[in-house]
Amino acid sequence: MADRVLDYCGLKCPYPILKLSSQYPNFKEGEIIEVIGDCPTFEKDIKAWCQKLGKTIINMEKQGDKLKVTIRI
Amino acid sequence: MAKYLCGSLLNLHCSIENCQHGEDFIKILHQCISVLESLSKGDTSQKVTIFTDKGCLKKLVDTIHRLTEEVEEFLNLNHELAIGICEHFDVLRKLQQGDYSVRASEDSPVEIVKMLGQLINKQRDRFLDYIERLKEQHAEIVHSYEQQNAILSSVGVAIVVVDEDMTIEFVNKELEDLVGYSKKELEGKFKWTDFVPEELLNTMIEYHKLRRISPHLAPRQYEAKIKDREGKIKDVLINVAMIPYTKKSIASIIDISERKKIQEQLIHSHKMQALGLLSGRVAHEFNNILSGILGFANLIEEKIEDSLIKNYSRKIIEAGERARDLAKNLLTFSRKEAVGESKKINLSRYLLEFAEFIRPIIGRDIQVKLKIPEDEISYRIDPSHLEVILMNLVTNARDAMPDGGTLTLGLKDVNLDMDYYYTHPLVKPGHYVAICVTDTGIGMDKETKERIFEPFFTTKPKGKGTGLGLSTVFGLIKGYGGHIHVYSEPGKGTTFKIYLPHEEKRDTLIIDRKALKGDETILVVDDDEQIRRYFSAILKDFGYSVIEASDGFEAVNIVEDNKELISLCLVDLVMPGISGIETVKQIRKISDKIKTIIMSGHPIDLKEFESIEKTISADELLYKIRNMLDKKE
Repeated sequence: MADRVLDYCGLKCPYPILKLSSQYPNFKEGEIIEVIGDCPTFEKDIKAWCQKLGKTIINMEKQGDKLKVTIRI
Repeated sequence: MAKYLCGSLLNLHCSIENCQHGEDFIKILHQCISVLESLSKGDTSQKVTIFTDKGCLKKLVDTIHRLTEEVEEFLNLNHELAIGICEHFDVLRKLQQGDYSVRASEDSPVEIVKMLGQLINKQRDRFLDYIERLKEQHAEIVHSYEQQNAILSSVGVAIVVVDEDMTIEFVNKELEDLVGYSKKELEGKFKWTDFVPEELLNTMIEYHKLRRISPHLAPRQYEAKIKDREGKIKDVLINVAMIPYTKKSIASIIDISERKKIQEQLIHSHKMQALGLLSGRVAHEFNNILSGILGFANLIEEKIEDSLIKNYSRKIIEAGERARDLAKNLLTFSRKEAVGESKKINLSRYLLEFAEFIRPIIGRDIQVKLKIPEDEISYRIDPSHLEVILMNLVTNARDAMPDGGTLTLGLKDVNLDMDYYYTHPLVKPGHYVAICVTDTGIGMDKETKERIFEPFFTTKPKGKGTGLGLSTVFGLIKGYGGHIHVYSEPGKGTTFKIYLPHEEKRDTLIIDRKALKGDETILVVDDDEQIRRYFSAILKDFGYSVIEASDGFEAVNIVEDNKELISLCLVDLVMPGISGIETVKQIRKISDKIKTIIMSGHPIDLKEFESIEKTISADELLYKIRNMLDKKE
């Protein structure tokens, strides 16, 4: 069960990761967040974001057009 | 754009479907529509895969290829920009939280993101430099503060920094010791005025305020008093200065209690010496007059037959005798009374017997305690003097305890070392016999204590005391080269401590009497025939030839005629005609080989002349003469 769920469905990249970055200062170390998006490049962007900021992707799950990514902050 | 193209193609597709040759076109157009739809969603992965070289279709497919590439490039740029901003955003956030270990990446393919990264890193480095400089400055300030603290702590005098509202802001170790409170208890908690005795409070507050208006309005150095944790009042010397650019003052405080005490001891000693000289002279003259009064009164008594007049003359004699006793006491105080016959007394046993003797005298409500060491202590003293000393002190102790109490007599051998000498400069270091008389009576205030040994000073009701008791004790003890100290507090009691130089010390002067003999010629000069003869007899007994002179003029004449014969002159200080000092000066002019000694009735300090007191023992006199003649002195 994630500590937070961020639903960015309907937003085109790179808006989902820009919004995620602006929310990031509110997150606590070790918190589990769940980010959902449906942009075709969402997967690429979220992976790049996690790699650059040193965060771990715990799970990635396709639900139709949507992609649900679970991350440990 | 892709959406618009897609819509146009759909219309085109409908038109072509209605034509005969449109089968291939339709397939191509289907793919084109599909690719454009994907592009419109931001998906650049779809491509038109069917090849055509037909005029407008080829142009359409080529356009879609270019559009796909351009959209892909644009999207990539967009992602790089977004990821770069996210990364820099995270770096800035960490810097803001104080984590200076992070750096922004400078490898973004997007120029503006790369420059932003460089800018962030430059700002970070500059800020770190600034922090580093601040740290260095802080370390310098701390270092300087510690140095100042070390200086203030090691100056050896108490230091206090006082704020405008008189709160103590800083103290050093010496001030902690002076007032008896710790640094933690004092700083920021006490006001300076908490340590000022009430009588000085207004003055100190006035100084404090004036100094803050202008430093020269209040004294920079002054003597004052402070009270410590126990309420003990200490005499102090204070030096105050203002700390520049503040309303704070810094004061160094020196405890001068000991110095004051020593000053008081010296003043007291000089006063007692002056009183001794004065009372001695008065008593001496008084005695001469009394000799006439008593002598003639006795003659009258012998000659007169009339019992009434005889009774009158008896009254004169009795009054005269009382006056003679009084003069005797005064002479004792001034140490002009002849020293009686000393003998070695076992003080331990004497005090035991004395305690028993006084029990009925002091009354049942006063308990007598003895503090005598196991090892017996003896001392060479005239027994009558010892009795006078102890009886006077015990009588005073009894009178100080009208409601009863405890009287303690103590005895011990003490070694007064150099440390004791520093606080009691009038007491020579050495071995002493200490006798203490302590009562638990009413005690004395400071003023009484200062005057207690003065002749005719008494606190007793009129007619109850002569005021000569303690001055007699003082004179007797001084006569033995000893000291007497009094410690007293009102309501608590009084202790008299007597220090008599140990007899071993005095015995060191008793040497082989044969070594005291001599065959030189000595001139004895004194207007008092008896004294002259006394010294002549001693000297003759030890083999010396003696010439006598009754005044200075005669002495100088004799020396003129016998300058080769006379080896030493013993000259009285006070004589009719020329004084002893003048006589010696003239003798020295005649011959510098002739030794001279001035004799005095009381202690004197003549820097240029050898001198002795007339009360000197025969052995001591002979010892001194022998040493001078043998050039040992």
